[in-house]
Amino acid sequence: MSRRILVVEDDLETLDFITKGFEAQGYVVETATNGRDGLYLATNGALDALVLDRMLPELDGLSLVQSVRAAGINTPILMLTAMSAVDERVRGLRAGADDYLVKPFSFQELDARIEALMRRPQDQSDNRMLSCADLVMDLERRSVTRAGRALVLTPREFQILEYFLRRVNRVITRTMLLEGIWDYSFDPHTNIIDVHISKLRRELDAPGEFQMIKTVRSAGYIMSDAD
Amino acid sequence: MLRNARTRLIFASILLSSVVTVLVLSVVYVTTNVIIEQETRSVVEAEIAGLADDYERLGLPGLAAAIDRRVLSSTKQDAIYLLTDHRGRSISGNLGVWPSSIKPGGGWVELELVRTDSDERVPISAVSISFENNARLLVGRDASGRQKFDRILVQSAGWALIAAFVLSSITSWLLTRLIFSRISEISDTADTIVSGDFARRIPVRGTGDEFDRLAITLNDMLERIEELVKNLQLTTNSLAHDLRSPLTRLRTHLDTLVLDNADQEQRDKAGKRALEEVDHLLRVFANLTEIARAEARLPKSDFDIVDVDALVSDAVELYAPIGDERDINVHAVGAAEPIEGHRALLMQVLSNLLENALRHSPNNSEIVVKLYDHPESLELVISDKGPGMPNAFIQNATRPFQTLDVSRSNPGSGLGLALVAAVARMHDGDVQLKNANPGFDVTVSLARGHTKK
Repeated sequence: MSRRILVVEDDLETLDFITKGFEAQGYVVETATNGRDGLYLATNGALDALVLDRMLPELDGLSLVQSVRAAGINTPILMLTAMSAVDERVRGLRAGADDYLVKPFSFQELDARIEALMRRPQDQSDNRMLSCADLVMDLERRSVTRAGRALVLTPREFQILEYFLRRVNRVITRTMLLEGIWDYSFDPHTNIIDVHISKLRRELDAPGEFQMIKTVRSAGYIMSDAD
Repeated sequence: MLRNARTRLIFASILLSSVVTVLVLSVVYVTTNVIIEQETRSVVEAEIAGLADDYERLGLPGLAAAIDRRVLSSTKQDAIYLLTDHRGRSISGNLGVWPSSIKPGGGWVELELVRTDSDERVPISAVSISFENNARLLVGRDASGRQKFDRILVQSAGWALIAAFVLSSITSWLLTRLIFSRISEISDTADTIVSGDFARRIPVRGTGDEFDRLAITLNDMLERIEELVKNLQLTTNSLAHDLRSPLTRLRTHLDTLVLDNADQEQRDKAGKRALEEVDHLLRVFANLTEIARAEARLPKSDFDIVDVDALVSDAVELYAPIGDERDINVHAVGAAEPIEGHRALLMQVLSNLLENALRHSPNNSEIVVKLYDHPESLELVISDKGPGMPNAFIQNATRPFQTLDVSRSNPGSGLGLALVAAVARMHDGDVQLKNANPGFDVTVSLARGHTKK
């Protein structure tokens, strides 16, 4: 069964852009252009994810999130905003949204985040081991090996690798890494994340081994279990 | 005329001081009269008792002699005596005949009689008694002196009233002139500023009085407003100027996209370039929004307790790998207690400063982030070994769109330091730039808020 997603956005061009993008990914997309219709659709139907604009006619995005949560619906919600201010993000998350994206955004970023919201990280903590192809991470002994070779990682590199290992075969954007690993939502003007990833890659991939963390053009990175 | 505050004040002051003067003088007048009257009466009553005593001891002739002596004595000019026989004929004293209206022993009376010693008709206040052989004695006081005193008292009260009127007019006029001249200085200045002269300031007289303090406070306020207006003008100008080139480039790329004879490779390239230009523009706007919000000094509801040590070590850890690529050692020294602040914006500050430092550092050098803890504030110093800035540029470097790179091909938007300064001001602090020769120091100080005891 294909997954259903509700997009509430009053700007028709943005709505069209998001809808086409998700349909191309195989989603069934429902749409609304104001907060009231959005609330009706959100509370009457099985949905896998909600994408809401922060500013909507009739019922604004924050109130919509609160109403949806008050109705006992736990569907993942991603808020979109034209307001870039960092504290808007905090306000949206406090209201009950799961993630927040500042306009303008690339569709890849939105897609990656929705994907991440719908498939929460696999909880592998009970077996204390994470793995991907020939890479094995022992969470208890804090050790990582690839093809039996022990990797020397800084605590931060270990953290980044764990983040990827819990999201194998999913696109992870640079801002997701910055928020997920460093817990900062600021705007670096340089390629700091790329530098950290390439440092990690140097340790991760020995000559002859396939590149485990691949760059996804204009989106971010993906950890794949095969070349 | 009473619509004028100054006239109203003067009138109120005159009225008030006149009323007070009249009240005080009335009280003085009444009490003086009462006291004098009581005094007179007790003296006269004592005298009449003494004379009655004389009568007891010496009989009528003795009393008459005593009265004659008293009349003649020069010290008692205002004393009135009359001793008569039972038919009212005068035996002794300075009155002609027993006034028919007076009953002996009937208490105090006030009347006008003719004095035989001066032949003047004078007001008299007197008391009388009769003896067993129906002889009568009247003792009183000539009240003309007192009436004269009364007149003088009323006259001087009148003068005092006039003096009070004149004095209060003068003082209230002077006082209001003092106050209203200062007020009109302020309102004149405000008028000038409203009509466009933002550089005008309220004159401070150097007396250190309340008006001076008010003027200083208002001038500080005007200073800040002028700075904001200037910044706004500068920002608008620079914005217009700065947006023209990326927009022109964007237009060129879009032209290529719709050009009929462009091949696919050219179109791809133009599309990619156009996206880059748009991203750059969006970043400029995002930065401007952040600066505007920080400058607005919104209520500090978004402030948290921020662990500055952790913030600095995170920032250093984040940027150190970039430094490593060019053998630039990025590290932190010092420690500080947590402060009340905006975590995300403070991280943005560190990020902007570290990116600047990295951009200008020579290979194989170092960047040090120093933390200094003070009771009231916290100091964050980012030192690099770069070339620094020309001193003339330093004072404007924190204004929006100031960049050393005239060609503006550099990725810096000229907003990095402006945001740093805005965030510092948001934390009641400031930013100082200093050439360290060699190298460059940026010092950000942040007020502690309520975090330290």
